[in-house]
Order: sequence, then C-alpha cells, then structure tokens
Amino acid sequence: MKVLVPVKRVIDYNIKVRVKPDGSGPDLTSVKMSMNPFDEIAVEEAVRLKEKGVVSEIVVVSIGMPQAKDTLRTALAMGADRAILIEATTDVNQDIEPLSVAKILVHIVKDENPDLIIAGKQAIDNDANATGQMLAGLLGWGQATFASAIEIADGGALVTREIDGGLQTIRVKLPAVVTADLRLNEPRYVALPNIMKAKKKPLEERPLAALGIDIAPRLKVVRTVEPVGRSAGVRVASVDELLEKLKNEAGVL
Amino acid sequence: MYLNETQEQVRDTARSFADEVIRPAAEALDREERFPSEIYEEMAKVGLFGIGVPEELGGPGFDTLTYAVVMEELSRGYASVADQCGLVELISTLLVRHGTPVQQKMLPEVISMRRKVAYCITEAEAGTDVSGIRTTAEKDGEGWVLNGGKLWIHNAPVADTGFVLARTDKEAGNRGMSIFIVDLHANGVDRGPKEHKMGQRASQVGGLNFTDVRLGPDALLGQAGRGFHTMMSVLDKGRVGIAALAVGIAQAGLEAAVDYAGTRKQFGKHISEFQGVQWLLADMAKDIEAARLLVHSAADKIDRGQDATRSCSMAKCFAGDMAVARTADAVQVFGGSGYIRGFEVERLYRDAKITQIYEGTNQIQRMIIARELLKKGART
Ligand SMILES: Cc1cc2nc3c(=O)[nH]c(=O)nc-3n(C[C@H](O)[C@H](O)[C@H](O)COP(=O)(O)OP(=O)(O)OC[C@H]3O[C@@H](n4cnc5c(N)ncnc54)[C@H](O)[C@@H]3O)c2cc1C
Repeated sequence: MKVLVPVKRVIDYNIKVRVKPDGSGPDLTSVKMSMNPFDEIAVEEAVRLKEKGVVSEIVVVSIGMPQAKDTLRTALAMGADRAILIEATTDVNQDIEPLSVAKILVHIVKDENPDLIIAGKQAIDNDANATGQMLAGLLGWGQATFASAIEIADGGALVTREIDGGLQTIRVKLPAVVTADLRLNEPRYVALPNIMKAKKKPLEERPLAALGIDIAPRLKVVRTVEPVGRSAGVRVASVDELLEKLKNEAGVL
Repeated sequence: MYLNETQEQVRDTARSFADEVIRPAAEALDREERFPSEIYEEMAKVGLFGIGVPEELGGPGFDTLTYAVVMEELSRGYASVADQCGLVELISTLLVRHGTPVQQKMLPEVISMRRKVAYCITEAEAGTDVSGIRTTAEKDGEGWVLNGGKLWIHNAPVADTGFVLARTDKEAGNRGMSIFIVDLHANGVDRGPKEHKMGQRASQVGGLNFTDVRLGPDALLGQAGRGFHTMMSVLDKGRVGIAALAVGIAQAGLEAAVDYAGTRKQFGKHISEFQGVQWLLADMAKDIEAARLLVHSAADKIDRGQDATRSCSMAKCFAGDMAVARTADAVQVFGGSGYIRGFEVERLYRDAKITQIYEGTNQIQRMIIARELLKKGART
C-alpha cells in the first residue's frame, strides 16, 4: 500500500510572528521556517503504518520555493521513501490558495496512484483547513477529517475523529483522504543517522508551470494586522470583590 | 563558513530534545545528583552519542562543527547531559582513530550507552602535569599488570570500561606512557566514593584504584609508549566540545534572564526597561555570540584539516571565562531569586565554573595560546 503525504513549509511554531509594516502579510524575511506541525503528525502516522507492515511506500510532496526541499528532507529523515517538490516562484502561504494546492495534488495523485493520502488538518500559517477536503472532493474520494486514530483493515480505513463533545469513528473505503489532528500521535525526533541517510533518498523537482494548472488567487488579502496585546490584569483583595467584578464589570455572571 | 541544511536539521533535533526532555529534568537531576539513564537511552535512540563516528562503524558520521552545535544545544538543556555526550565522543574518537578492528567492535555498545565508559588520566599528584602519573602497567607475558589510582574520573562510579593512561616505561618521560582499555568489573578494580560537586551534579565523578589488574594483549589502545600522544590527538576536539558546552550554559542563562526581565516589575516598570539591566543583557548576548563564533571557527579549522590548536584553546578559554562571568550576570538580573536553589540561573552559575578547570585549565589554555603565538607568529 502506498501513502502520499503533502507537507508544507511554514513559519516555525516557536517564532513570534510579525506583520510587515505595510500590512500586506506576515514578515517572512530571515524567519525560521519548519514543517507544519500537523503535517509532521501526518508523516509520523504514515511511518508508523509502514513500521507495522501495512504500508510499503511513503511519498511526500511539497509545493513552493526551493527552500521547501529542507522540509522534504526532514520528512525523508523521519522515514518517508521519496519526495517530490513542485517548484513555484512563490510560496504556499497566501499566494497559492487551498483550491490550487488541491488541484496540483490531484495531478500528483494521477501520477502516483496512492491508496491513501494523509494530510495535516490545516497549516498553522493561514489555518485554512480546506486542502484535504477539496482534494477529496476533486478526486471523488471519501474523506475522514480530524483523525485521532487510524486503523487500516479490509480495504478501508477505520478513523476516529475528534468532534464537538466526543469521538466519532467512521469507516471510509480506500482510496481516501485522511487529515491528521493534534492527538493522532507524537512525532518522533529525527534521528541523526537518518538525517545522513535521507540525503541519499530520491528528491524529484518539477516546475509548477509544466503542470498547466491555473493557480491565480481567487481571494484578495485586504489587510493583515497583529493581534492586540493583552492588557494587564488586576489584583483583587477577596473572593467577594472578584464576584462583584465578574458580575458588574465583566458581565459574565 | 555557516551552518548548512544538514547541520541545521541536526541542531533542530538536538534543540527540541533539549527543550522537551533535558531542560525540564535538570533541576531535579541537580538536586538528586542522579545519573539519568532514561535520558541517555532516549538520546541513544535519537543518535545523540558518537556524533563523529563514521557510518561504516555504526555512527552518523558528522563533522566537528555539527558536534559543537549538538553540544551547545544539549548543554542549554543541562550541562551534565552534554558532558556525557562529550565523554562518549572523546572515547569513540579515540577508538575510531587508534582502535584495532577488534577494539572498534565495542563502538555500537559505547554510542548506545549499553557500555558506559570513563577516561582516566588524572591522579592525586598528576593534574595539569600529566607526565606525573604514577599508575603503572608492567609487562606480564603477552599482557600487562596494572597498578595505581585515578582521581575525579567522570563516570567512575557507573562505568563498565575505563580508558586508562599508565606508565609503561619509567625512564622515557612523555614517551613512556600507554593507554589501556580496562574492564572495570574485573578483579583488582576498586571504585572510590562518588564525589559531591559544586555543579554538573548529575555527572558521577569518583576515584578508581587498580591492584594487580591483569590486562590481555588486546587491552593496549594505539602504540605502546605513545599514550600521551594518543591522548593529545583528541584534545582539540575535546576542547571544542567543552567550549560549546560553556556557550550552551550561558545561552540558557541569557534566555532565562531575558524572560525574567520582561516579567519582574519594580518601581512600576518591568526591570527590562531599566538601562542598567539592559546593559547586562546586551553584554551577555554579545559575549555569547563571540564565544559561539570562536567555537564554530575552531571546529571548522579541525574539519578542514588545518592547524587548530590555537583556535581550540582560544575557544575553550574564552567560552569558559565568558560562561562564568555571564551566568553571574544572569544571577544578577534575577536579584535575590537568582541566589535561591530551584531557580535555573543559580544552577547555571555553579555548572559553568568547571568549564574553566577541566579539559585543561584556562591557565594552560593561555599558556598554549602564548606558546603558539611566540612560535608561529602573531598573524594567522
Ligand atoms: C568534575 C570534574 C570532572 C573531571 N573529569 C575527569 C575525567 O573524566 N578524567 C580525568 O582524567 N580527569 C578529570 N578531572 C580532572 C581535571 O582534568 C583536573 O582537575 C584538571 O586537569 C586540573 O588538575 P588539578 O585539579 O590537579 O589542578 P592543578 O594541576 O593542581 O592546578 C591547580 C592550579 O594551578 C594552575 N597551574 C598548574 N600548572 C600551571 C602552570 N604550568 N602554569 C600556570 N598555572 C598552572 C592550574 O591552572 C590551577 O589553577 C575532572 C575534574 C573535575 C573537577
């Protein structure tokens, strides 16, 4: 069984994001970039399925600038077998929207014929939470989003989903698109010997232009602003004063 | 020179590991003076021991610069843990460079920490002056008989195998010493009590005594009579490692100090708004960066096969002095809290001090720098 995992290069989750002075978007100059944490979880799940003997090959794909190769190498060091970079002149943050990403991935799927796609549920930069769903729609495949457990059996996937108020388990036929939630697993540390071995694994680069896909944005970013800073708290002297404030000032009681 | 993609990847792994596994455990390890086997097991799985061991001998085969980067990150978590990495690196480098194929067979055990090692040079009368060692190995048929005592040996209370410098020829001075691989569970080996130290308290340090310990013909590492030179051959790399460790301690202090200055209020303001505090932080940051660059440049010289002795001594000396001075500043930023057990900077200050002493005291580093300077000229 073959698994395809799309991975995205985003601002590292430890970095305090700043907005460009002209408000056109986040400032990406000399900011540390890493693999989207949900994609890391997706790669980890694919690797665990391979270690269990369920999966035979893991292909990772990224779309964006040449630097996205670093992200792919990390996925290879985690245990993916092969990587594809669809090289674009812009990066996938605002410039290439989820629908375009899904269309590009459809192209890859046609070439690779995976039995399963595991994607992150969303990327932590634009929080769109759309690519996996759109991809399933375009392919006409089943989808299981927000997965917190995946079990492959009898030509299908049993997926536990995190929903409001609890867990739901659904069965999807393969091929299918599954999107990973936070609690699916805890990604491993990339082992040092595997970083060396990953250098020898195949990484294929294809120009986006050659795919003939219209990636023109459908949305226009009007303005980006930083969240307002939290104002300082107040100390209260007693529980009574706290209750009084919650009732009369905050109006929450 | 700057970090390439692979070195950055390695740094990311070491950094996350230090942040998530090592740093949260450091306070308790210091208090309990406990050997953290569970952390070392995890580190071995992630490949954080034997950084320079080539792939064909079971390691990842990274260069010295990568090793320095790993040491700084681990030490930012906790210096004792980094020092274990440094010790394993030293022993595995000795085995890679000087070991016979049979001796090299122990490498996988060494870098997985299934076999704990100790590097045994120092004696009561021989610290800085290594030529003063009195431990002897006398020829006995095919092998040797070892007698003597070692002091302040890292891992002595827990180690399985010692790499022991002993005199094999009383007349031959520095050419009369040899290194032996000694089974520390053998008859005639006694371990002294564990020492209680000022800092790096999770490192187990103690003495070893050898009474008529029989060594087989395979026990000799490298050439007979060349033990001093064998030991010296890994000194440069060892110094880079300790220098990086010192940078890591100071970096942890800077991070703690910046956080604290941004939260602690006096006179109605965050103390970070006072210029007096800002200057402390600025001096810490610039000296740490300067030390880091010295470390990286020394490592880079080793990797290029250039003469690195002066650079390695400069890095070790500067980074050690810097770590002591700048962790003292970190304590200052914390005020009274910085002097209280349980606050990270209090431990960092204690952990830093030994970096001026072991791996060649900083007086000796200055001696080496001056000697190189006067021998080879001021221009580099
Ligand atoms: C925590 C810890 C771990 C250690 N781990 C190990 C280990 O694993 N293996 C091992 O073999 N050893 C180990 N040591 C020993 C360490 O390497 C020695 O302490 C160190 O080499 C200094 O020797 P000494 O203590 O005898 O000091 P001395 O040599 O007695 O020095 C005392 C002072 O005199 C100065 N001095 C000496 N000679 C000169 C000179 N020519 N010019 C100017 N100044 C000079 C020194 O710089 C120092 O300030 C460890 C020590 C400690 C504390």
